[in-house]
Amino acid sequence: MSAVVKTVTPFTQRDLLLEALDELGVVYQEKGNAIMTERVDDYGAQRFIYEQGAYRFQHDSSPWRKLNFNKWKTVSAFLGAVEKVYHQAYERLQQRLAAEERRRLEEERKRFVEQQKQAVIQRAKEQGYNIKEIRKGNKIQLQLVRTTY
Amino acid sequence: MPEQRITVTIDEKGQIMAKTAGFQGEACLDELQSLLEDLGTIHEVKKTDAYYQQNAIKVTKKQTVGRT
Repeated sequence: MSAVVKTVTPFTQRDLLLEALDELGVVYQEKGNAIMTERVDDYGAQRFIYEQGAYRFQHDSSPWRKLNFNKWKTVSAFLGAVEKVYHQAYERLQQRLAAEERRRLEEERKRFVEQQKQAVIQRAKEQGYNIKEIRKGNKIQLQLVRTTY
Repeated sequence: MPEQRITVTIDEKGQIMAKTAGFQGEACLDELQSLLEDLGTIHEVKKTDAYYQQNAIKVTKKQTVGRT
């Protein structure tokens, strides 16, 4: 079997994430490093948690549980909506910022991408893969190959 | 010797897309989960044509056995 998975764009900027949630009309509350949303599943409020440089969405992935969602019935639809508005807010921020601040944001973004890459490489090595890195424009492609016996 | 292959693409914002080939059954999803755990929120999973073709072959074989 083969499969393709995609992660949501990492939400690295807290202010932009909150701006996106406000724009979408999502009610939320900040608690420590978490942004608790009004979306509730059997494990409580679905939340964004800040870890390793980005906010990750924590939720119960079981699709059959009773949920309180009126809008965006699935997590995928919700994250898709947040991602879209977050991108727009990011673009607006870039336009507002002075050149030096833009460079700082750009450096932060590059560091995050590098951190993602190193984490994948490290895990792939531990799992016995041979790794080949290819640059494709702004994207990094890692080809992981393992021979089975 | 059979090969297991995963192609991981990281875009300029750190978003990850990963595609597998050469895995048996659902093992590819387990493998991707262990590889990408904590690196992002997975919001899209697609089983590729290879998966459906493989299943179609199994169904065809079952039907053939049933007729004979």
